[in-house]
Amino acid sequence: MTDHLTWETLNDLVDGVLSPSATDAAESHARECAECASALAGLRATLSVARDLPATLTPPDDLWRDVRATIEARKVAHLPSGADRSPSRGWWVTPQRLAAAAVVLVAATASLTGIVINARAPAVAAGGAPAASSTVSVSWQASERAFQASVLELREQLEALHDHLSPGTLVKVERALATIDLAIAEGREALLRDPSNAALSELVASNYRQKIELLRRVTQLASS
Amino acid sequence: MMMPFSFRLAVSLTAFIVAAPLAAGAQQKVDIRRAVTRDVYVRLNGAFSSLRVTGWQKDSLVMTGNLPRESRLDPAMSGAGGAPAAGVKFYIEGSSSASVSGSLELFVPAGATVWAKSGSATIDVTGITGGLDLNIVGGEVTVTGNPRELNVESMDGNVTVSGAPTWMRAKTASGDVTIRGSCTDLGITTVSGTVTVRDGSFERTRIESVTGNVTFGAGIARAGSLLIDSHSGTIELQVGKASLDVDATTITGRITNSVTTRRPTPGREGRGEELTLSLGTGEARATLRSFKGNIRLTR
Repeated sequence: MTDHLTWETLNDLVDGVLSPSATDAAESHARECAECASALAGLRATLSVARDLPATLTPPDDLWRDVRATIEARKVAHLPSGADRSPSRGWWVTPQRLAAAAVVLVAATASLTGIVINARAPAVAAGGAPAASSTVSVSWQASERAFQASVLELREQLEALHDHLSPGTLVKVERALATIDLAIAEGREALLRDPSNAALSELVASNYRQKIELLRRVTQLASS
Repeated sequence: MMMPFSFRLAVSLTAFIVAAPLAAGAQQKVDIRRAVTRDVYVRLNGAFSSLRVTGWQKDSLVMTGNLPRESRLDPAMSGAGGAPAAGVKFYIEGSSSASVSGSLELFVPAGATVWAKSGSATIDVTGITGGLDLNIVGGEVTVTGNPRELNVESMDGNVTVSGAPTWMRAKTASGDVTIRGSCTDLGITTVSGTVTVRDGSFERTRIESVTGNVTFGAGIARAGSLLIDSHSGTIELQVGKASLDVDATTITGRITNSVTTRRPTPGREGRGEELTLSLGTGEARATLRSFKGNIRLTR
């Protein structure tokens, strides 16, 4: 097997910006390489999160209360001090706090998806034959799960390589991830309110890409 | 009888490897010289704090400088019998107890491809027309010249490029990115660093930031495209005299247009703003999207 496709190539392939010959070569490689095929599928699934959002989505009031509560909890857990940009470890960043923040992140992300899934299931059942939007909902759920799976996988890899990174680097990484998480949370909240907003979808997708890209880079940094 | 040049280089290299470090305080001296191909691939990984790379018009590689006495430098080179090496690899292992303080200067053929990776380091590159792949956590990367391909990744290190790389990608977490020059295919992503693009002409540009401010004050080539996405950073497009179609959207932010009299319209659901402009004959396209940051269009 030749060298794996780079992350850049995978992104360019998904974005459709490779030349025809490069596209053929990359897709040919992905057909024969399970690892690259998996990465490609994950990336495509992630990017489809925003694009495949349902045309109409009217979540129940109690859903919004839970979503907002979860988002607020994440803000409290992750929000970095805007005034302190020094590389030194801030008061809020201790191993215990970082671990707790990671748990909150995972739990919050999982609960968000759970909320969406649980909120949609009765509607489909009550409606008898699945409406067109239920298919989109499945896509939404699958995309969310793919995103979470990618993040969790990279998180696990990073955790395994934790000792390869300096405490200072870990602080920088967690600070950057907290910034992205907050942006994702705000974007998702807005998307659920306005799911057919194409610009908003692209902005949320951009933040998803940033998070996975950052985790992947740090993991590579730690493993080299 | 004179020894062939390449043989003398090999002897020099061998002498370096087997020689005991030349003590200069707590430092060891580095002096490596080797005949290489014009498109040699050089890979340098490890603990150094400063690296200066210069592309020159010679078929040889020279690396000089100083490393802490506790550091270990492992060079590996392709090619046997004094033949020019097509690949050179250096791995620098630093002492875990010593702070990274190595300072290196590397001369390579201009057409070389250089890959360098370190923790916190200052990397300064001049005159490379081949490829550059530079990866740091902190510090700073400065590139001057026209590399064919340029990839820079850093966490909080700033990235400054002056020149005209054909293809460029820069990715930072909080490091600022400044580009002065031109590029055919430019991609910049940052979480919270500021992005500034000035001067030349850019054909295809994509800039993504989460909270970092973005200023684009360069030309967009005919039929070119510019896409800027930011969650909460301010986006400023200095259009100059460009012939350009502009499509700007904010979800909750404001749009300020100082270029024409056209005013932005309220966005969807009454929040945010949208503005579509056609300047000149619209030979290029700029798409600006922000969640809650403001967008400014200026001359």
